[in-house]
Amino acid sequence: MRNQPDAQPPDEEPEGGVTREERTEDESTTLEQPEGGGAPDGQREGAVDEPALAPIAVAARDAVKEFGEGATAVRAVDGINMEIPRGHFIAIMGPSGSGKSTLLHCLAGLDNLTAGQSFIGDAEVSALGEKERTRLRRDKVGFIFQSFNLVPTLTAMENITLPMDLAKRVPDKQWVKYLIDTVALNDRLGHMPSELSGGQQQRVAAARALASRPEIVFADEPTGNLDSRRGAELLQFLRGAVDNFGQTIVMVTHDPIAASHADAVIFLADGRVVEELIAPDVQMILDTIKNLEP
Amino acid sequence: MWKAAFRGVFAHKLRLFLTALAVVLGVGFVTGTFVLTDTINRTFDNLFVDVTEGVDVYVRAESSFESQLGSSRESVDENLLGEVRRVEGVEAAAGSVTGYAQFIDKQGEPVTTGGAPTLGVSWYDQPKGALDIRAGRAPRGGDEVVMDAATAEAGGFEVGDTVSIITRQAPREFQIVGIAGFGNADNLGGATLAVFDLQTAQGLLEKMGRLDSIDVAAEASVDRQDLLTRLQAVVPEGVEAVASEDVAQEQADTIKGALGFFNTALLVFAGISLFVGSFIIFNTFSVVVAQRTREFALLKALGAGGRQIMAAVLVEALLVAGVASVLGLAAGFGIAGGLSALLGAFGIDLPSTNLVLLPRTVVVGLLLGIAVTLVAAVGPARKAARIAPMEALRTGLSSSAKFSRATMVAAALVIDAGIVILMVGLFLDVERTLWFVGSGALLIFLGLAGVFPLFAGAVARVVGAPVGRMGVPGRLAQRNSVRLPRRTAATAAALMVGLALVGTVSIFADSLKASTQQVVDENLFADFTVSTGGAFGAPTGLSPVIAEEIRQLDEIDSVGAIRFGQFQRERDALAFVVGADVDELTEVADIDVTQGSAGDLADGGIMLSEETADDEGVEVGGNLDVVFAATGPQSLPVVGVFANQALVGSGYLLGLDTFNANFPDAVDQQLFLTIAPGVPAEDAAEALEGIAERYPNISILDQAESREQTVSQINQLLGLVSALLGLALVIAVLGITNTLALSVFERTTELGLLRAVGMARKQARSMIRLESVIIAVMGALVGLAIGVFFGWALVTALDSEGISTLSIPGLQLAAYVAGAALAGILAAVLPARRAARLNVLDAIAHE
Repeated sequence: MRNQPDAQPPDEEPEGGVTREERTEDESTTLEQPEGGGAPDGQREGAVDEPALAPIAVAARDAVKEFGEGATAVRAVDGINMEIPRGHFIAIMGPSGSGKSTLLHCLAGLDNLTAGQSFIGDAEVSALGEKERTRLRRDKVGFIFQSFNLVPTLTAMENITLPMDLAKRVPDKQWVKYLIDTVALNDRLGHMPSELSGGQQQRVAAARALASRPEIVFADEPTGNLDSRRGAELLQFLRGAVDNFGQTIVMVTHDPIAASHADAVIFLADGRVVEELIAPDVQMILDTIKNLEP
Repeated sequence: MWKAAFRGVFAHKLRLFLTALAVVLGVGFVTGTFVLTDTINRTFDNLFVDVTEGVDVYVRAESSFESQLGSSRESVDENLLGEVRRVEGVEAAAGSVTGYAQFIDKQGEPVTTGGAPTLGVSWYDQPKGALDIRAGRAPRGGDEVVMDAATAEAGGFEVGDTVSIITRQAPREFQIVGIAGFGNADNLGGATLAVFDLQTAQGLLEKMGRLDSIDVAAEASVDRQDLLTRLQAVVPEGVEAVASEDVAQEQADTIKGALGFFNTALLVFAGISLFVGSFIIFNTFSVVVAQRTREFALLKALGAGGRQIMAAVLVEALLVAGVASVLGLAAGFGIAGGLSALLGAFGIDLPSTNLVLLPRTVVVGLLLGIAVTLVAAVGPARKAARIAPMEALRTGLSSSAKFSRATMVAAALVIDAGIVILMVGLFLDVERTLWFVGSGALLIFLGLAGVFPLFAGAVARVVGAPVGRMGVPGRLAQRNSVRLPRRTAATAAALMVGLALVGTVSIFADSLKASTQQVVDENLFADFTVSTGGAFGAPTGLSPVIAEEIRQLDEIDSVGAIRFGQFQRERDALAFVVGADVDELTEVADIDVTQGSAGDLADGGIMLSEETADDEGVEVGGNLDVVFAATGPQSLPVVGVFANQALVGSGYLLGLDTFNANFPDAVDQQLFLTIAPGVPAEDAAEALEGIAERYPNISILDQAESREQTVSQINQLLGLVSALLGLALVIAVLGITNTLALSVFERTTELGLLRAVGMARKQARSMIRLESVIIAVMGALVGLAIGVFFGWALVTALDSEGISTLSIPGLQLAAYVAGAALAGILAAVLPARRAARLNVLDAIAHE
């Protein structure tokens, strides 16, 4: 793990985003030791031991992403600054074309920023090459997509351990078992994705995202294809991962109910952060959306 | 609707390119083969029309049939020339002789022709024939020769040089007084030509006072048919007058017959290309249509009828197939050139002329490309037409690999029928054996292709098992290879067919080697063998003078000479017959006489091998009716039966006197020598070296060298066949590339997901590569299994022909499998690169 000062996110208070003070507060209240012996400490980076040194999970500094060139260029992300502290569940909302998915892709190292910087932990993602970004995604990032989350030729279990198998790393068996128990997939582990329901598939994806104890989980409309009950189950699972193991999750969604599970909601419009809610309920979110409509 | 069809064609450039590529290759290889065979045939047709230019009628001895071993005619008395000249309407007539004459080049080596004859002919001015003196003048007297322009060019000879020539007599020096050509052509289909004046030629070719032919030009005003009739009335019995166009046709046919082996090989190759090409076209188009199921479902949801969808697919197929087939025809020309070069690399130089494109080639090529593509498109099109729109929109690709009982039963029946036909061809005495064997094999292949998807999954699972343990890429590769068994099977099928044939040929060749060596080791006592080198073409033979000179050597004890000829058996079938001095032969080899006595052969009659006697249904004491080309029908008493046919080289054996009486101009084919008692081998070898120096065209081999030569000849044959099949394998490999590229395209989202969760580019590449290797190795293994079966069947069938030992070249077969794996890696290069370079975001946004 690199620990260079210049790779640290900026110290000054970002334009949008959750402040450091709030985070520290939250951290102390939400973090619990896992139940039973099966779920060890989720903070590999030593954040618990050194809470003052590496508390930022994801950060963006003057992040800009343009598509196309010259006159036809479109700024999907237009100078975003944010810091997402460890152990929080953040939702990003905004109308179609607001740049929320693009921002997520850039933060996750799936895409390059046109200008500015982005960080995961103390690694500057925007400065990494393709190979390093792949390794970063494999080792430090978990993904949940809206659909097509699972490799169809691998069983549920193989899908869950896929990132670790790719890294030729031995999965933490107890942790994986704990996750599987939590998402109630015990009797489905040998099944192929095509034999699983949509809700089960998303739960497998969630288990995979958490299985390698990533620095951060990015979820792109994870409940978009689920009915409200399955959606709520999945969100509760994610919430639990944050509350019980200090997992950091960034979720893009346009569903106010889904967003209400988050610790904070960041609203984007035209590639900029326009609003931010702490500990929102559904009504607050709906009101904000209404206010932001032109 | 039609707009949709046309848009569909151009919307996906990669798919379009790959489909078209499959058609272009399939059509290209088939037309290439046709173009090459047609070109060869046309070349010889034209050649002999050119050669007979200026001559209207040939007067020559009758022959019962045209032998493939060169001149089989008696000569005529030269006094006949005067009579012919007196016939009304004859403008000019000249006698000519033709025979064996071998130039020795400036390095002292014989001028090689790659199988074409080395001819010595006589010169005449009138009638004005096809042969033009381009430089210098005509030959006069016993020391002058005119050389063909091609040999002069290749050997750096000029007018005024001297050149050494071997004829039926010892080698001699001649002065080159002229260079000749045939119109624009520098030589005759690769043959070398030494032109002497008539008397010299008669002397050198041992035809004093005789003529092989009298070449007649008619007066301009004379009706040629009348002249022919008048000449026929004049000539004595046993002599005929023939129109020159008939002679040209006859000579062309003879050469084509001698080249029949290549034509057959090339046509078999065309058939294999067609078969393999069909698979690739079929496979590619099926995949492409299946991939577009969603698009069709959308059209259906918007109100298009099933019939319209099907029509759209078929029109698209027609469009692609039409354009690609035309491109394939063009590619065929290039491929014909490549094949020609390949044959050249194996010592078979084909005369270079313009490539011939017959209407038949165009029709077959276009029909093949279009028909196969349409057939390939119909199945998926019907599926697309029938699909419930919402289901397709929801699930996307349908990849059902279900098999109807009917398909399986039909495939099984086809296989059985194929085996029966194959066995009939191999084991029963039927005409057109090759036809039976070929169609039997084809049916077996078709049937296997039908059931292959059934067991392809299981085979791939087994083959891929070791790969499956090689980390995530290996595991995914293995799973992907069994994902769509039908597609995997179709992809591997081309390789399967190719390797089945390669396997068959390898086993056949290896068994042939083993059997020949066994026979030679056990039964040939000769210390040395003497023969002319010569790859595939008929060996040019040994001047009888050589045997005489060797007999003079004190170091050599006995000399057994073998001569080769052809005579006609029932059903117009030609058979090779061997002539030998039996006393000499039995001293150098054990032919294993089982009935009668070899000694009686000296008094006339014939000996048969056991199998031949069986086939002919005659026993010792009976008579065998045969037809000789030069001397006509004869009834020969059967005086004995021998067991060792492989050693004799034929099932028919004549005494030397009988042979010579029926084959004018016969030369020795091979000499078997034993060293005189008490003489060290080195001394004998040294003495023979002296002979070899004077006759550079012969090779004298001791036992070990002789064995090596047999093996190397068989290897050369094997090499040629393998090289041809190797081209079919190129198609197979491109087929794998094609399917993989489409699969990568199809799995874009999946690849994107894998890359998103951390699969490195290297891992993505190795995943595709390993899948390719699994498919290739699977095709190779199944193919070789079939090849071993075919090889066994073939060797069993040929047991009576002297191939008695079944030998399976295990190491070679293992090398083929390794080669297939390598081919798999090669095939995967581009698809793997594509998979690795995939833009992760595009892939995720793909659906």
